[in-house]
Amino acid sequence: MALVLPGSAWAQGRTVAGIVRDSYGPLPGATIAEVGIPRNSVPAGPKGEFRIVLKGTSNTLVVSYVNYVRQQIPLKGTNNIANLEIKLEQNTSGMDEVTVVGFGAAKARTTMTGAVSSINAKEIEDVPTSSIQNALAGRLPGLVTTQRSGQPGRDASDFYIRGVSSLNPNGNQPLILVDDIEYTYDQLSQINVNEVETITILKDASSTAIYGIKGANGVLLVTTKRGVAGRPKFIVRTEAGAQSPVRTPNFLDSYHSALLVNEAYNNDGLTPLYTQNDLNLFKSGADPYGHPNVNWYKATMAPVALQANADLSVSGGTHNVKYFISGGAFTQNGTVRKFDADQGDVNADGVNSNYFYNRYNVRGNLDIQASKNLAIRMDVTTRYMDINQSSNVNVLGDIYNYADYHPFSAPLINPNGSFAYAYDTQSQLPTLNALLESGGYTRDRRTDFNTLLGFDEKLNDITPGLTLTGRLAYASQQESVLSLNHGFDVPPSYHYDPVNQSYTLNTGPNSGGYVEGNWVNSGYTDLDIQTVNAQIFLNYDRTFDKVHHFSSLLLWNQQTERDDAATNLFGQIVYGQVPQKYRGYSLKLGYDYKQKYLIDFNAAFNGSDRFQASKRNGFFPAVGIGWNLAKEKFFGELFPMLNLFKLRGTYGIVGSDVALGNQYLYQQVYNSGGGYPFGASQQIGGTIYEGSLGNNNVTWEKSRKSDAGLDMNLFGDKVSSTTDYFHEYRFNQLVTPGNVPLILGIGLSPSNVGITTNQGWEETLTYKSTVGKIFYSLGIVYSHNKNKVIYEAEAAPRFPWLAQTGHQINQPFGYVYEGFYTQADINDASVAKPNTATPPHAGDLKYKDINKDGIIDQNDEQAIGRPNIPNTTVGLPIKLGYKGFDLSVLFQGAFQYSLGLAGTAIEPFQSQWQPIHQRAWTSETASSAEFPRLTTNPTTISSPTNYNSNFWLINAYYVRMKSVDLSYQLPKSQLPFHISSARIYLSAYNLLTWSNVGKKYQQDPEVQSNSVGDAYLLQRVLNLGIQIGL
Amino acid sequence: MKHRFQHIVTVAGFCLVGTVILDACQKNYESVPLGQTATIDDVFNKQDSAGTQALLFLANCYQAALPNGHNRVGGDYLDAASDDAVSSSSTVSAVQQIATGQYSAASPNADDDWSKNYTAIRDANIFITNIYRVPLNEQLPNGKPAIAAYRSEARFLRAWSYFELVKRYGGVPLLGDTVFTITDNAQVPRNSFSDCINYIVSECTDIQDSMRTESMVNGNSYGHITQGAALALKAQALLFAASPLYNGGNIDPNNPLTGYPSYDINRWQLAAQAAQTVINLAAYSLVPSFTNVFITQASPVGSNTESIFWVQVGTNTSVEKTNAPSGYTSAGGNGQTSPTQELVDAYPMSSGLLITDPASGYDPSNPYQNRDPRLAATVFCNGALWLDRPVQTFDGGLDKPGGITQQTKTGYYMRKFMGPFESSNPPEYSNTVHDFIYYRYAEILLDFAEATNEYSGPSSAVYDVLISLRQRAGIIPGVNQLYGLEAGMDQGAMRLAIQNERRIEMAFEEHRFWDIRRWKIAAQAYNTTPLQGLDIQQTSAGLLIYNPISVLTTTFFDPKMYFYPIPYSEVVKNPQMKQNPSW
Repeated sequence: MALVLPGSAWAQGRTVAGIVRDSYGPLPGATIAEVGIPRNSVPAGPKGEFRIVLKGTSNTLVVSYVNYVRQQIPLKGTNNIANLEIKLEQNTSGMDEVTVVGFGAAKARTTMTGAVSSINAKEIEDVPTSSIQNALAGRLPGLVTTQRSGQPGRDASDFYIRGVSSLNPNGNQPLILVDDIEYTYDQLSQINVNEVETITILKDASSTAIYGIKGANGVLLVTTKRGVAGRPKFIVRTEAGAQSPVRTPNFLDSYHSALLVNEAYNNDGLTPLYTQNDLNLFKSGADPYGHPNVNWYKATMAPVALQANADLSVSGGTHNVKYFISGGAFTQNGTVRKFDADQGDVNADGVNSNYFYNRYNVRGNLDIQASKNLAIRMDVTTRYMDINQSSNVNVLGDIYNYADYHPFSAPLINPNGSFAYAYDTQSQLPTLNALLESGGYTRDRRTDFNTLLGFDEKLNDITPGLTLTGRLAYASQQESVLSLNHGFDVPPSYHYDPVNQSYTLNTGPNSGGYVEGNWVNSGYTDLDIQTVNAQIFLNYDRTFDKVHHFSSLLLWNQQTERDDAATNLFGQIVYGQVPQKYRGYSLKLGYDYKQKYLIDFNAAFNGSDRFQASKRNGFFPAVGIGWNLAKEKFFGELFPMLNLFKLRGTYGIVGSDVALGNQYLYQQVYNSGGGYPFGASQQIGGTIYEGSLGNNNVTWEKSRKSDAGLDMNLFGDKVSSTTDYFHEYRFNQLVTPGNVPLILGIGLSPSNVGITTNQGWEETLTYKSTVGKIFYSLGIVYSHNKNKVIYEAEAAPRFPWLAQTGHQINQPFGYVYEGFYTQADINDASVAKPNTATPPHAGDLKYKDINKDGIIDQNDEQAIGRPNIPNTTVGLPIKLGYKGFDLSVLFQGAFQYSLGLAGTAIEPFQSQWQPIHQRAWTSETASSAEFPRLTTNPTTISSPTNYNSNFWLINAYYVRMKSVDLSYQLPKSQLPFHISSARIYLSAYNLLTWSNVGKKYQQDPEVQSNSVGDAYLLQRVLNLGIQIGL
Repeated sequence: MKHRFQHIVTVAGFCLVGTVILDACQKNYESVPLGQTATIDDVFNKQDSAGTQALLFLANCYQAALPNGHNRVGGDYLDAASDDAVSSSSTVSAVQQIATGQYSAASPNADDDWSKNYTAIRDANIFITNIYRVPLNEQLPNGKPAIAAYRSEARFLRAWSYFELVKRYGGVPLLGDTVFTITDNAQVPRNSFSDCINYIVSECTDIQDSMRTESMVNGNSYGHITQGAALALKAQALLFAASPLYNGGNIDPNNPLTGYPSYDINRWQLAAQAAQTVINLAAYSLVPSFTNVFITQASPVGSNTESIFWVQVGTNTSVEKTNAPSGYTSAGGNGQTSPTQELVDAYPMSSGLLITDPASGYDPSNPYQNRDPRLAATVFCNGALWLDRPVQTFDGGLDKPGGITQQTKTGYYMRKFMGPFESSNPPEYSNTVHDFIYYRYAEILLDFAEATNEYSGPSSAVYDVLISLRQRAGIIPGVNQLYGLEAGMDQGAMRLAIQNERRIEMAFEEHRFWDIRRWKIAAQAYNTTPLQGLDIQQTSAGLLIYNPISVLTTTFFDPKMYFYPIPYSEVVKNPQMKQNPSW
């Protein structure tokens, strides 16, 4: 015993002090312990500070914190250490991860049987996008997102958990719960990410069964931050960013456009519209008023717009009262140019008709320990926002719309300063800048208010581990739309003729519309919803003999939603709608033995008043089992590198009560309508007509879900892997039967007849390690799913290839492209052609005559391409940490989907001329053409609006550098005053994009298919921010 | 101890509050949600002695069954799908698709009213089977209960809808009073043509006595269907049944869906008798002025004694604005309808002689002079006075300027149904009655004449019909007082005279399209030559040169196009639903 190492003797009594933090700031509550003497541990204080006196000889500290990678810190030297900085890295899928699974319960990865993925909100805090769902893309396996638009305030992604599996178009949205209160897509996008603690998705039957209602679509859970006892901790965060479109559309100039116009006229046997002299002037630009050359996109849209965000939060409290209070403001500008020199608004009257989005968030979360056993919770949240856009012009649509603006329609402004107008078009609209400069706005103002009052009463007197919890939540949403306009929408505008220097006033298509009236405003309430939700549940969680762990939950839940401004069947707003209500009872029983053998049983009994009383209730049971082999002795000996090897499986039934259209499908309703006149003066009375046929049997849509998973951690948690395979059989889906004869004489209500399947797999693989002082981690988040329609009461089609059954949901149908018609084809009567009034010409698209009847018609359509929602999505998160520096990059990709656009996106004389039109078929370029012959006729076989085909439908993919976050945490020693932490970060969103969509379309790869393709372009954001903690 | 007590109190408190909440929630979760839209018990209300809601439902039955024929088919008159007119539209119009045969079972034509008529039949059945729940105490002027009349109106509308289906498809499924529910089997077979006609006829016979007669109509009940309408529907159904397409000319001889297996002359007798019954009511008479027929309300509200059954459209300027010559910029006029040269040539001279008659005095270089006044009342020819100036349909004229604006394709515009705006100054249209007349007395007379001629030859009663119409039209009696008719015509000559009279008298009233089918002359009318128009050149001296031009090559696939195809979706959904021949 005398031969104790010299150093160790010194170590005893040594004091180590410092702070624990992660890349975002201090970590209050982290545990610092001495290796070898686990009882010698201290928690970190509110600013992450700690102080520990070593007792043993290991000279090593171990630092741990929930959801962070446990870290061992060897201590150098022998002296006391005063300012040790310990940085923990977040654990994305490690062993210690604890995941919120709903109703206040949390589970460790080691004991989970269900398919659950979660993310700590800190990971996405710096992503410069206003909508949380945009930042989630590529981070959670099983979450499929598509961002359809980049419009400020309306840029939130659609998202689905494990893709779509219901034929009911409204029935695929996951249940979104924020602190267990149901939110809509819109509401979720308005949450301030700074208020959020974790985000979890529940994917399989066992984890969603207790939700019963809408559990079929998966559940997204958000929990918000709560106070930690200690001195008030302030966090101030402010950031500013520049947005620019991910891509700008490339439109041809006047000269090249005019060449193509002439080509189309020539092709149609018409006299070319522009003379050589015109073309020369377009080319030279010598006649800017007679032969203007304006790129309306560039003229209207600025290259850069700004956005900014500021948040302040304070949290702290005593043992009895803890609080978290935060306020945030976010503002995002649209990319429309300013047409007024000095006022900073878009137009001269100081009226802002640009797109913009302003949002203000306030949250107060309060926890009161009222007595030893009673905890009370009070949450208050409000959100308030404005979404602005111009009211008298659809800027985006018109930029693309060649029918409204040609590049040579008008100069930006006439030489005398008056507005010009597109005199050579049918609609004769004043120029876009004129409309914007004189027009007003349409502003959506939305206010959300939520309160939650809850209590937790420990019932240890009855039996230890028993808790009674109750919650009462109220949520209101109100949205009103206000428009400010001139009495007449169209400002006076003139056509300037440079030859005789005359100005002609635009009388417009409606003569007299050129006198600008006074500003007039109008508005209406768009949304007025109040929801009350009450929950009471008993929780029981206890471990016997240190090996038998029981956990159970018994829940009663009821919700009433009242929509005071719902629209009726005629699109009119009707007040005083009846409430929608549901009620549920849920039960959860869990048992595990030494965390080795796991079993869970979940069940919900739910009623929704969307269904008739006797069909109202649904029972949704699910079971889950797990076996953690790594805890078996033999396994540990065989595979010592495996710290975790858990097999798990779940099976169960979940439901959805989303009904299409009418709220109460089972009721046969009669509606009032426009009248038939009787009487001498033929006064129109009303009529009453029969609504869609009621279906008394309408009931729950159900889904039988099975999931098998494997969780692995290898090499001391360096590698972690989660694999899931799932299969879903979704039945009783509410679809409108297509096989009922029309002699019924009335529209049908949907019936519970649809059946689909959906299956796929998910993989999350993370490798993390350190090289010297560099921490790094690499990951893959992979999701794949494919659904199939088994039955949808489809009428037997004319030909088997026309059947939708057997294909994916929303499978596109169209013609099969076989090349361009040659003149020989046209002359050859045996080559199939459409039987329409517009006969095809050489250079038109030639389609396959599938039924071989010599005629191209609807009978020759078949399934082409894939649905628009990707089947496969991949995320590649990469992280690097070195001292105060952190770099986090996420690549996100989507594969196996199709995109097809029509109308103003691509069709000649509807869309602005684009480079692809220059590669149109002509008799000379027949072999290399990439586009059908140009024609003025909009109804030819080559038009995607009339003949959708796989020529237009791209099998698309994209990969984005979705987010980049480079931050630097300033060393505490360098911070002045009482600043406890300071961090500077540079972040980016959608920095780079690779896609094959750009070969055909001047649009973003995520826009909606079969649309006209005039979506607000997705934005790339570069953002600089600073976060300071006090 | 103190803690313990506190704990018990709080738990008890929670239980109490919880119980109250549960109770409150229970009240809030009804088995039947409140505040829904009306149910059938509200519509046919057992307490409502005025029948307010039920009569609104009847109004819906009218609305569902009775289309406004003005510009009904894709913006055009159905007649523009016959040999009487073409659409002026520069794109492929719905009527052009019909006339050129561009339709199939899978993509039906725009006049495919299968679903629409079965909706109307369902609505009528709901009314028929439920109206007696309503304690309606209204009485007709003759003291009979009005409830029976209302129910008969719904039965009329049902019969009318079946007839609309029979015209298009032949025999169709007859549903009786069945109102299908979601669990019923709607896969029923088609009834034969004969069954359908018998059903329509028996329904009309059944209801005729409970309906309002013409004399019972007052300012309040105006617009409701009368006994005369029921008898007229019966007459028309029997006339169709007697017509060559079904009676002896069945395109699929042993197919009961498309007609009778053999000819039976007695069908003509039944048709003649049914028309005679309407005439015998003595409730209707010809209006002295032909143009006034279409722009005045029926008696007793208006002076129109000729109108038997019409859809109430009310007063507006839409017929003028849609169809009048396109050169009147201030009044508006979209020139939708271009009557053909074939129609114009069908009008005789004012002497009553056809223009092909060498004695008629027809001058091809002055073609509109001394014509039957019904020509000018039906068609705008070049030079006709309108809104205080002559219509100019010569090349480059105000109403045929060339270029892209919609304008006549034939050199003619439709004039019928319009108000008297010939010398209107300022040149604007004012609201005019535009009720669309389905049955009027002139047609009943023609039905009678046609059936009688077929059954018993050209008797004096047949002559009298044509004479009365020609006299009203303003044709000169002539020396033989036969208004251009020849004495002693044989049955065939009289048939042609009646057919021509029907064409010009009833133009644009949705008759020609069906008449050429039931007479089985559609192949000849469509396929013989392309439809003709005039290209009129005005020389610098003001001289007009008329050059015939072809405007549309029509196609009639004989014989399958004598019937519309049953919509394909209907055939695949119902294995019992037989498709029409060759579709």
